[in-house]
Amino acid sequence: MSNWFLLRSRRWTVLTILLTCLTMFFVGSIPAMADDTISIGVILPITGREGKPGQYQKEGVDLAIKKINDGGGISVKGKKYLLKEVFYDDGSDSAKSATLTERAMSSDNVTAVIGGYSTALGEAEAVMPDRHQTPWITPGAGATSIFSHGYQYVFGTLSPIVLLGSTTAEFLGNLVDQGKLKKGLKIAMALENTDHGIDYGNGIEQWIQQHPGYFTVVFKEKFELGNTDFSGLLQKVKSARADIFLSDAHLQDYITMHRQYLQSGMHHQMISYGARGPESDARKALGDGTNYIFAGIWWSKSLSYPQVQRFINDYKQFTGHEPDSWYPATAYDSVRMLAAAISEAGSTDKAKIRDALRKVVLKDSLLPGAVLKFGSNGQVNYPFLIVQNQPGGKVEIVYPKNGATAAPIAPTP
Amino acid sequence: MTLEDFLDPLISALLLAGIYAAMSMGMTIIYGVMKIVNLAHAGFMMLGAYFAYELFQRFHIDPLLGAVLALPVFFLFGMGVHWLLVRWLPKSDQPTLASLLLMFGFWLVLQNVAYLIWKNEDRSITTSYTLSSIHLGPFYISKVHLFVFVAAVISIVVLQIALKRSWFGRSMRALIQNPYAAQIVGVDDRKTAMLTFGLGTAFTGFAGALLAMLYSFSPDFGRPFLLRSFVIIVLGGLESFSGVAIGALILALVENYSILIPHVEASYQPAISYGLLVVVLLFLPKGIAGLLERKWRAG
Repeated sequence: MSNWFLLRSRRWTVLTILLTCLTMFFVGSIPAMADDTISIGVILPITGREGKPGQYQKEGVDLAIKKINDGGGISVKGKKYLLKEVFYDDGSDSAKSATLTERAMSSDNVTAVIGGYSTALGEAEAVMPDRHQTPWITPGAGATSIFSHGYQYVFGTLSPIVLLGSTTAEFLGNLVDQGKLKKGLKIAMALENTDHGIDYGNGIEQWIQQHPGYFTVVFKEKFELGNTDFSGLLQKVKSARADIFLSDAHLQDYITMHRQYLQSGMHHQMISYGARGPESDARKALGDGTNYIFAGIWWSKSLSYPQVQRFINDYKQFTGHEPDSWYPATAYDSVRMLAAAISEAGSTDKAKIRDALRKVVLKDSLLPGAVLKFGSNGQVNYPFLIVQNQPGGKVEIVYPKNGATAAPIAPTP
Repeated sequence: MTLEDFLDPLISALLLAGIYAAMSMGMTIIYGVMKIVNLAHAGFMMLGAYFAYELFQRFHIDPLLGAVLALPVFFLFGMGVHWLLVRWLPKSDQPTLASLLLMFGFWLVLQNVAYLIWKNEDRSITTSYTLSSIHLGPFYISKVHLFVFVAAVISIVVLQIALKRSWFGRSMRALIQNPYAAQIVGVDDRKTAMLTFGLGTAFTGFAGALLAMLYSFSPDFGRPFLLRSFVIIVLGGLESFSGVAIGALILALVENYSILIPHVEASYQPAISYGLLVVVLLFLPKGIAGLLERKWRAG
């Protein structure tokens, strides 16, 4: 009797284990859609060196999710599903960023991930989507290298950094054509030692090669991110006796470098820190020292589209402050693109969402051009805006002319 | 290369040498008497920076005054750390593994407490004179760098006078020269050690407050300066206060002029500094002070 009991008990145990495994296998392959919700992972830094821009991007994501959910959610084959955010703070650490992305895609089994502010963190996260066959959209990493590996599940709402560089040079060339700057000026470049910096430098040099006679690069050197002391580098920039100083830096490095630039009494006819310039943190730290700096950015609140004004009002109501530079806008549209793709796919199957992302067009995008579509490599390609800090705390769009809100001030007084 | 290209780095090096000497003095004081390599040096500098920052933000106290106020506060703090932790270390004529581990662990504690309080955002102190400079011909001298340099030099001079003229200073120097003989003549080594640790911490906190005027900082602040302090005290001679000043000047000059070498990028500057450390350890293990002492004795 006891043997029979043991045998039967063992059979039930094996059967239970087998059923559990089968359940986990099937449930695991279907993205989380319990309780009429669709889970999306959000991996952004809200602490660490990139904490400030990361926080702004998270606010953009949170606002987009709130708007979608307030409108009833995403429609999938006639049924509405609310978006549920699974958020992880990667603390501006690349290794942690990659691990958390993997966790979201595997253990949390999210339908898609929005993540990767800054090229370094984006590059770390970008290896996971194809591995776990989960769509990933980065609202904050624009280096071409991320989109040149042939990844199928990788998308980004930032235009390429190479285009940022060439637009910067094009803007300066336009100033020469207007007579505001002389032809043949010398450029000194200090670039962050990342793919972002390399792309920026390449973009500038490509434009210069295609337009001989406009500018000459007399100094070009890389620096490490997170440096506390740029005095040596700035000493070399000073010795180069250039007319224009172009740097590509993250927010904290921009603030540190420009502080030391001002302290050393340096002056150039035009100065830019790549995509950094109008940030309120820089204004707080450096005051009028940021005047006349120009930047190539992916979005400005000065764009005249009606959807931009609506976004700004919603954002202010949601966060209590104005959008700082471009950060929240690309994140906001990333979520909207994803929502549109899920709706288009009519399914939460990740491969179908991936295919839908390749085709979806956002016709009321906040971003320049007002129409957003991913390219064949997953990256968007809308034009950059050049903005300039002008006296009185103003940040004006100065290029392209058809969207400009003020004339550029050049050369720097 | 023009004269301006040559003199500009020289001015920068001199200004930098002052603050380098001030930040390394604390480490030299502690090592000289107690033979402890204070790896928490970076943590004390970081706390000094935040001390000046909080006084500036909350009470609008100028960071130069904040640095001076840091001296007594960190003196007491250092004595407290000594009483709580350091006095339990076994005495030795050489740095011990226990002391290295203790101070490293304490540094990590300080860092993580700072993360909890201030998070990991970079902070900076911007006064009315932070961005302004003095114009002397073709040269621009940053006011804040000049003020920091003057404060650092005054503090070193005052320290030197105090060490020469006070009973505590003589006790310290006696312990550095020969701890056993010092005890025989009546130097209370425990009390002197506690006061020494307090003094070393005070100087480090003071230096951290000065550095906060020049650089932005986070709880990770102090790490590159800790490594530079090592280079300076090894270069100068581990137990020599005047050697620290010489070592600071040599390091500042090497850092500023090395980048003028063609094809040497500014990002190589730290490698050059630490390369200097290796060279000194190999060829001048007693540092510049040891070399000068040998020459003086031979002469």
